[in-house]
Amino acid sequence: MPSWEDFKPFIITGLALGGVYSLSGVGMVVLYRATGVLNLAFGAVGAMGALIAWQLINHNGWSEGPAFLVCVLFGGAVTLLYGLVFGPPLSSRDPLIKATATLGLTLVLLGVMDLIWSDKARSMILPTSNNGFQVSDVFVNYTEVIALAFGIGVMLVTAIFLRFTKTGTAMRALANDREITATLGVPVRRVEAAAWLGCGLLSGAAGLLLSNLVGLDAVTLTFLVISSLAATLIGRLRSITVTFIAAIVIGLVNALVTPILSISQYRDMTPFVLATIALLVLSGRRGSALSGRAG
Amino acid sequence: MRKHLGSRKTRSVLTLLILAIGLSIVVSACGSSNKSSTTSGGGGGGGGSSTTSQAADVTKCGTKPGVKATGTPIKLGAIVTKQPGTDFTDGATMADAYFHCVNDNGGINGHPIKYKWYEEQTNPAQIAGFAHKLIQTDKVVGIVGGFSIIECSVDHKYWESLGIYELDAGIAPECWGTSNSAPPNMGPRYSSDGAVQGVVRAGAKKIAFDQSNVPGTGYIVAGPQSVAKALNVPITTFKDNVPIQDANSIALKLVQAAGSDGGVVLNFTPPEALKILQAAQQQNLQDRVKAWACSTPCNTDFVAKALGTQWDGKLLVNAELNVTDNNGPQTRLYRAVFDKYGSKVSGGLGSFSQMGFVMAQQTVMALESIKGNTYDIKTVNTAIKNLKGFKTDMLCKPWYYGQAPLHIPNNTDYTTTPNHGKMVIKDGCIPINAADPGIAKVRSIEQKDPSLSQPGTTVPGA
Repeated sequence: MPSWEDFKPFIITGLALGGVYSLSGVGMVVLYRATGVLNLAFGAVGAMGALIAWQLINHNGWSEGPAFLVCVLFGGAVTLLYGLVFGPPLSSRDPLIKATATLGLTLVLLGVMDLIWSDKARSMILPTSNNGFQVSDVFVNYTEVIALAFGIGVMLVTAIFLRFTKTGTAMRALANDREITATLGVPVRRVEAAAWLGCGLLSGAAGLLLSNLVGLDAVTLTFLVISSLAATLIGRLRSITVTFIAAIVIGLVNALVTPILSISQYRDMTPFVLATIALLVLSGRRGSALSGRAG
Repeated sequence: MRKHLGSRKTRSVLTLLILAIGLSIVVSACGSSNKSSTTSGGGGGGGGSSTTSQAADVTKCGTKPGVKATGTPIKLGAIVTKQPGTDFTDGATMADAYFHCVNDNGGINGHPIKYKWYEEQTNPAQIAGFAHKLIQTDKVVGIVGGFSIIECSVDHKYWESLGIYELDAGIAPECWGTSNSAPPNMGPRYSSDGAVQGVVRAGAKKIAFDQSNVPGTGYIVAGPQSVAKALNVPITTFKDNVPIQDANSIALKLVQAAGSDGGVVLNFTPPEALKILQAAQQQNLQDRVKAWACSTPCNTDFVAKALGTQWDGKLLVNAELNVTDNNGPQTRLYRAVFDKYGSKVSGGLGSFSQMGFVMAQQTVMALESIKGNTYDIKTVNTAIKNLKGFKTDMLCKPWYYGQAPLHIPNNTDYTTTPNHGKMVIKDGCIPINAADPGIAKVRSIEQKDPSLSQPGTTVPGA
């Protein structure tokens, strides 16, 4: 068993990764609450935004700032466009069909990325990764700090937005009943568009950070969304706070298992194991509560 | 009532979530679909750009410069791995580029080469199916330029039963350990041996060896373990799933295992190795060990460029082939062919495409040695088997096929390192340590028949 000293650096990497998972998770929960759509294209949109930024920097002579902005805006634009085109016709369909439709977008984007950029080695180092500070003997770069801070910030801002703003209240109403909300005069399409845009912008930002923390690789970034999905599952697609905490825990456990050599190679299962445990515990509690109430 | 509805809704959502996750994993595992590519006689695509500007004459590919081959095609085939985290298509696409060049310059005695390959995803049934399809449906007469993780294991008995002598590169032990397979490279095991030797030469007293968790890892790791043991250096071995999702943690793990007087050796494809190296860089880990090393796949300028100057001289790459900007005639021709015909070589100039080029040159050399005008399985494969003394500036010593129970003709390697966005030679040709039993056997074969590795054949160059 590794010592505490061995584990310390993994706490940093785990927190950073968890922070970015939480970005994805929160984005997906907000969209689901407003539109009933589980956006499986979150990772692919972010990956393509990051690759576009790489292309602009390395082949078109753009400076980093505008290229990174394009990455985030690309996420917003593609997701919004998808929401505007496919959102209304799918609005009354089963959640499974809505989710599967976003998988279609994922596959289209993956195909386009494979066609344009292939699998060759490339990288995009954020300027913040070149600087940092020491915590004990562990070097923490500013991208890792930003990833965690951004995750916390997005969670807080989203929670406040949903509770205290008119659009946020409308989103929560939509989550409860789309038809009744519409009859009350809420501009459903506009509110849903705002949710699609917000989710897309977050996917662009997450893609940018993950391309730096994980690697600029289309397939990897696309399917990192699975870890975030596990977090949203633990948050039952409702609670932003629980989703955030779950994402951090998934990132942490994933990293902390790494130095334990006997189980290290199974750490990719972390999101599913944690999600399964959480669901079993939650189901058990609900069962106890219901039987207690019946008694 | 509402609560009841809510929980039912939640249940259905959770069900679809699990379905979605499962589907995502399936999609991820499938990666790209089975794709085949064909070449017919005539010109290839333009495009591609090499990192060197020195012009070379692509008409040297064939015996009749500028004359397109129009005869009956000679059909050749291959099977190549392409899946998430492992893309070996550069070998086949570069071989294809060379065949285009040959076809544009007279072909083989007027016959163009028609090349077809299938892309597989490490599925034995799929690979066996492709092998039968190549022979029975596509009617190929030779299997050349293949580049696969398990193809040699799956198909070698089939090739032996047909009298086919495969020219391939791969990972499975059967690529080097059977009678009907001879690669231009030495593969991940012996290349990893060389990388281990590299970090020990750099002063490492302990080694952390990591490789991608794909079939054949047990076979590969046995090589570095035997070499490390012979050099009296303790070694800790790891394998990690690809595509890598937590490179920071992996880099930390390896540095911890190696210790400050140790070395880290990686055996991954370029994008995956790059993730670990960059993660190390971002955590200031590159100087926390004596040396970092890689097996051959890292010997590409894309890796050198992506890493930046912080790794100059710090990363040692065991290179089975020479650097891509050396000025030898075959490498000049390789670059010229890449520039004119290599638009499909997505990985650019690098070891994978070099291997494809070498295999294509070996194939053409064998085909040109056939007397008469019959190109069938028997004549083509006899010609391939008889190849020996094949000298190119891309390899340390002459290459051979010959009749032998195993083939590791490339057993002496370069060591390269990044330098301002390019890979440059750090150490010249160094024999792989014969502590690895396979290398010991092949050295014995070479001693018994020295003509195998004596320079003998003139290979086209520019």
